[in-house]
Amino acid sequence: MKNLINNILKKTARLIKFALIPGAVMFSSQSCDNPLEEVVVSNLSNSYINTPKGFNDAVSAAYGYLRTYYAQEIGMSMSQLGTDTYTNGADGSYKRYNFYNGELNGRDNWVRTLWREFYKGINTCNAVIDRGTEIKGLSPAALASGVAQAKALRALYYFTLVQHFGDLDLRLSETNGPITEITRTTESAVYAQIIKDFNEAYPALPKRTGQWGRMDQMAVDGFLLKVFITKATRPFGSVADFATAETHGKKVINSYDRSLVSDYAKLFELGNDQNSEAVFSVQFSYDLLSAGGFGNRWHLYYLMEYDTQAGMSRVLEVGRPWKRLRPTNYTYNQVMVNRSVDSRYDKSFRKVYKATRAGTFPTFLDKSKATITVAVGDTAIFMPGFEMSEAERAKRPYQVYTPSMYNEKQFETLSKFLDPLRASINEVQGGRDFVLIRLADVHLMVAECLIKQGKQAEAVTHINLVRRRAAFSGKAAQMEITTAQATMEFLYDERARELLGEGHRWTDLKRWGNLVERVKLYNPEASANIKDMHNLRPVPDEQIDLVDGGNTAFPQNPGY
Amino acid sequence: MKRSILKSIVLLLLCCTSSLFAQTRQINGVVSDNLGEALPGVSITVKGTSEGMITSVDGKYSLQVNSANDVLVFSYIGYEAQNLKVGNQSVINVTLSESTASLEEVVVVGYGTQKKSQLTGAISTVKAADIKDLPIANAQQALQGRVAGVDVMQAGSKPGSEPRVIIRGRRSPNASSDPLYVLDGIPLSGGIGDINPNDIQSMEVLKDASATAIYGARGANGVVLITSRRGSKKDGKPTIFYDSYYGVTQALNTMNFMNGPQFSATKREAYRVRNSNGTLGGFQPDNIVFTDVELDGIAKGRSFDYIDALLRTGNIQNHSFGIAGGDEKTTYYMSLNYFKDNGIVYNQDYNRNVLRVNLDHQLTKNISMGMSTFINYSIRNGEGFNPLGGAMAENPLGVPFNDDGSLNFLPTEDGLRSNPLSEIVDGAYIDRRKTNRMFSGLYAEAKIIEGLTYRFNFGPDFTVNKRDVFQGTFTNARRLAPPRASTDNVNSFNYTIENILNYTKSIGKHNFNLTGVQSFQRNNFETNGVTVQDIPSETQQFYNFGNAAIIEGVRSDLIQRSILSYMGRVNYGFNDKYLLTATLRADGASQFGDNTKWGYFPSVAVAWNLSSEEFMQSISSIDLAKLRVSYGSTGNQAIQPYQTQGLLSRSVYNFGDNAVFGYGPNTIGNPDLQWETSRTLNLGLDFSMFRGRFTGSIEYYDVTTSDLLLRRNLPPSIGFTEVTTNVGATRNNGIEGTFSTVNMDNRRGFKWSTDFQFFINKEQFVDLPNGDDVGNNWYIGQPLSVIFDYKKIGIWQANEFEEARSFGSEVGEIKIQDTDGDGKFTAADRVVQGSGVPKFSGGVTNRFKLGNFDMSFFVYARLGQTIRSNFHTSNNSLFGRYNNIETDYWTPENPTNVSPRPNQNQERPIWNSSMNIFDGSFVKVRNINFGYRFTPETAKKLGMESLRLYSSIQQPFIFSSFISEHNGIDPETDIDASLGGNVSPAAWTATIGVNLTF
Repeated sequence: MKNLINNILKKTARLIKFALIPGAVMFSSQSCDNPLEEVVVSNLSNSYINTPKGFNDAVSAAYGYLRTYYAQEIGMSMSQLGTDTYTNGADGSYKRYNFYNGELNGRDNWVRTLWREFYKGINTCNAVIDRGTEIKGLSPAALASGVAQAKALRALYYFTLVQHFGDLDLRLSETNGPITEITRTTESAVYAQIIKDFNEAYPALPKRTGQWGRMDQMAVDGFLLKVFITKATRPFGSVADFATAETHGKKVINSYDRSLVSDYAKLFELGNDQNSEAVFSVQFSYDLLSAGGFGNRWHLYYLMEYDTQAGMSRVLEVGRPWKRLRPTNYTYNQVMVNRSVDSRYDKSFRKVYKATRAGTFPTFLDKSKATITVAVGDTAIFMPGFEMSEAERAKRPYQVYTPSMYNEKQFETLSKFLDPLRASINEVQGGRDFVLIRLADVHLMVAECLIKQGKQAEAVTHINLVRRRAAFSGKAAQMEITTAQATMEFLYDERARELLGEGHRWTDLKRWGNLVERVKLYNPEASANIKDMHNLRPVPDEQIDLVDGGNTAFPQNPGY
Repeated sequence: MKRSILKSIVLLLLCCTSSLFAQTRQINGVVSDNLGEALPGVSITVKGTSEGMITSVDGKYSLQVNSANDVLVFSYIGYEAQNLKVGNQSVINVTLSESTASLEEVVVVGYGTQKKSQLTGAISTVKAADIKDLPIANAQQALQGRVAGVDVMQAGSKPGSEPRVIIRGRRSPNASSDPLYVLDGIPLSGGIGDINPNDIQSMEVLKDASATAIYGARGANGVVLITSRRGSKKDGKPTIFYDSYYGVTQALNTMNFMNGPQFSATKREAYRVRNSNGTLGGFQPDNIVFTDVELDGIAKGRSFDYIDALLRTGNIQNHSFGIAGGDEKTTYYMSLNYFKDNGIVYNQDYNRNVLRVNLDHQLTKNISMGMSTFINYSIRNGEGFNPLGGAMAENPLGVPFNDDGSLNFLPTEDGLRSNPLSEIVDGAYIDRRKTNRMFSGLYAEAKIIEGLTYRFNFGPDFTVNKRDVFQGTFTNARRLAPPRASTDNVNSFNYTIENILNYTKSIGKHNFNLTGVQSFQRNNFETNGVTVQDIPSETQQFYNFGNAAIIEGVRSDLIQRSILSYMGRVNYGFNDKYLLTATLRADGASQFGDNTKWGYFPSVAVAWNLSSEEFMQSISSIDLAKLRVSYGSTGNQAIQPYQTQGLLSRSVYNFGDNAVFGYGPNTIGNPDLQWETSRTLNLGLDFSMFRGRFTGSIEYYDVTTSDLLLRRNLPPSIGFTEVTTNVGATRNNGIEGTFSTVNMDNRRGFKWSTDFQFFINKEQFVDLPNGDDVGNNWYIGQPLSVIFDYKKIGIWQANEFEEARSFGSEVGEIKIQDTDGDGKFTAADRVVQGSGVPKFSGGVTNRFKLGNFDMSFFVYARLGQTIRSNFHTSNNSLFGRYNNIETDYWTPENPTNVSPRPNQNQERPIWNSSMNIFDGSFVKVRNINFGYRFTPETAKKLGMESLRLYSSIQQPFIFSSFISEHNGIDPETDIDASLGGNVSPAAWTATIGVNLTF
């Protein structure tokens, strides 16, 4: 018996020894004692933000979310479609933003994207702000600067959201676990927080940033101008807000180094992103590796379909035509007038398309001749912007497209955003910066504040500054307006002229309270459906569906 | 070898000559069973001839023989066959004894084998014999319709795509529902598509908790045990085998798109004048509606079918060649497999090459060791690329070819629509994955004392996998931009180490079996990749990233996880009548929180062999009846690792020209994540009647899964959109049955048998933290994924102008149901419209045998599921730009309620998601198979041991209203109900094959 047990033990021990050899080799190659311990190697865990580098990286990340809306199709749809200056072109899945039809509802992808992405940005800002009390290895000044940038960005995210959605979920600290008990905070409280954030950010920010694109005091002044002028027109606003806005606007004009770019065309020249007029711009890069999937895409949307026309093909020099946005007749006939004096029509639109293919081609819209024969580089299409007689057109060796021929595919192309420096012809990611505030915008807003306070005479000086710059050389005097002309009606047109297509129009109309009125008047595609409810966008269904209590706790905006 | 062939030929010749001179005489006799009862219906044949007859009701027979050397074969279902040489007898009485084969059949279970009669769990088996004679491409296919309770779903015909397998429904919406695959005892981390189906000896599907508890950690979704073929010790003579088939494949004609005239009519409709009051006017002139190329196409009656041009006759071939054998000490099995599937769409093919070596060696009297290894090299083209998508969208009026016969890259003026034919130009678009895999199951087993064995398993599994994509300038992806290329490498190394002790002991009528297992499994998954643009020459493809002008992206990742388990099992049987299995398993998984890593999963099962009881002996029609009951729990940890921790994600920005990489919060960690647990009650009945003529089993099961690992959507305003949590519960209950009958087995050698299996499952949520959860699309009492959407009730007709307007709609647009009746279309109008879960699924195989001929056909049905057809979403956009499936669309003259009016002002119709929901029920004839097995004598003459030729037609018919009424494609798709928009169409295959052994 004893022998048997000994035998068993011996054999077992020998076996286990052999058996464990490969096992031991395997285990020893794992550097941890506990085989079930989970070690994050290829990812960064949340505690990384508590390190000096991690804190600064979180601040950078807080900027990154600006790219998810600005200069994308979402920003284009929500700021330019369905306004008095622009209506839909032939293509696109988001014409609902122009039609204001039943499809513009809480399931819409853009309202969902804006809500999701900006709240991610806000949470990132909150993470920076929450950690900003103490991080070993960072000076108090560096910490304060990071927190200040995060507060300014948080205010900017909320400002964009509040203009589109009204009452929001006002979230001011980092989310550390699932939260579903959420209600809507009033618009006025959101505005109060936005103002508080900007004001708190201000002292810790440099007057002018050393790194182009970062938040600085000038940018905060610019944003406060916009926040106050907008708040002034809300039910909880007051005329005093116009005065505050004016103060901030004047600081942008006088206290920093900004000046109007002498030539309107130079403002939109490639490579001139960091011009003297830009107050704050969202940054983009041509380097696809560091673009992170987000480029400036606005080169796509205003371009008419030129590549199918006689003598033409798609070329990088012109761009990739997505034809999402087409100017309304209001833009052609009421905004872009006085074209012999005011250069902004010429400098905003592309009038000539050069042939890229040689040969004889049947004409398309200009039927004054049956064919045109062109060599590469010859003019293939000319768009003078006025009606030209058939006889006159027939004399020209190219097609002449006049306003009466315009349709959803062929129309005048806003040239401000075209981007031939992209990597390739079909590359959608452009690298131009996207300007949120420029000095002319500030001047016109200050003028608006002044008019609202009855100070038309002073307003005129700001308006004329902008207008003189826009004149053809030697015609500056003809551009000037008088005090009597300095009305809101005039500003409606002037802002359209100066800032055409730059992403301000929908919020401008909303601020002026005439979105419905002017869209009905000037945008035939939108006029049938637009109603007062459209001053707010629908809250994404997923937000409502996922909070405790659903629509009772987090009600949808009226009408949707 | 040569000598033995020669010998046999000589022998054969001798037999023939001797019989020539023999005299015919009569043989009589009676066939009875052990109890002396006469057996009617016993078939008696003269071996090697087609002569034969069956016994009469009193068990008597009489037949003619030619020679004393003739051999009579007595066979009867449920009894052991007997061969008797005639000699000089004239009366031969035979006693047949009952066959014990079906009862003694051995079944592979977790960590061991068991006699079928001793099983307590719900286990189904697919044997090599069931599948060997059929041309199947992968192991999963062998399960479809053959195992009750197993749902195998294959979408489309893309070569190399593997079907999804779900056993007894889904338990969890987020954690994986894939079963655990165990190959030769080693749990696999990778797929089973790399296995050569010819190498499979058997597949056991473990379904209830008692059977799967041994794999507790991952047993919740069921376990599929795959056992590969091994050599046999018998006579030392090697068996050489060659199994092969070749087939041609063609698309089932199910895709009907508009031709030129239909397209131009649709486009004219889309451009109808809209009057200022909102009503529809007449057509616009053609020169406004159409571009020059289109006008030219209309004038010349052009209509090009791009889909047809991209489809080809595919072919499929499989060759498996191997040798097996062994002696007292060593057995071996080696095989080589070449499989090639050239799909019906150009640029889509799959090639698999597998080498398998299985070795077993008796080292000493008490120690044996061995391995089962396969090495796989496969190449797959077109995994993520399907040129058909472009062809389906392409305007049929365009000009596909230039006058000189070359391809016209832009057939129309539409800059987005490049020529679909340019995608399949050699080298224009490459999407290739090369996979190398080496899997090995190594073991050493020692007999320590009588009944006690110790086994050590080590299973390394290496996969190296490289996916290359090249998109040339003349492709739709690039549309004249410089070429783009990417490479992604996956390097995975998984291993399993197990220590197993097994003790068997019988004391009188008491049988014990004890098993103890310690198991550790580790997965390492590394990836890296790079994407570039602007390669100088297209010929460089993805072979010189350094030459590219633009680096678009670089990436790499590491994912690791491990599981450590301890398990014990007791099997106890009394007198083979009363059986008990009890299992306890403890599992720790790295994915879970520090305090919640370990889960404990017990199970118990009892079985009662009713038919062994005295009182059952008198019922002679019942050969076997066994009742089984089991209850137990199993776990699921199949979620991505690192979810217990909050992680950051990169967001890129730049300040001026300085690029910065920022890192901000991306996921919420949940440090309390723990095991999802399924509790299963299973009731089973196994039976065999009429001496095995009718056999089968019926199971009822009820699985409740709690602490669901839910990826719960969160209100996005908190900065996160989801988190993985343990909340809620689901329930799956259902009935499944498997039956085999021998319908006919007559004296002429005609045999007809039928296998039938069915599966009815109800899948539902039974508990959710806040009741119905619209945001996540989860509803109590509904399956785990449902189609919740607006319901289409028709098209707004001309007389509903005002009403349509009040809903923000126009005449000719889709009318959806205003469920809450508030006069508006709002989110509250959405309703549940079915799910991808079938109400019934089943399969019937009929087998016929007449002499040496055999024939079988297999019908598979999946009924009652609803599908979301993205094929319709993509190809029924009705806006006059892209081609469209043929559909009955609304016009002022055609007030249909099927499809809305074409409208140029939309990329897809308003509310179009409501018109893409269909009944996905189908019945498929999967397979019709004819075979001829040469008699052993003939085979011997040809120098072989056995030879069978067969021909087969795969999937010749699909019956489905989705195809016949809605112009759909093959409705078979995943249980998630989403039918891809860009699938390769269903195909049928005609095959010829051969199975031979030497």
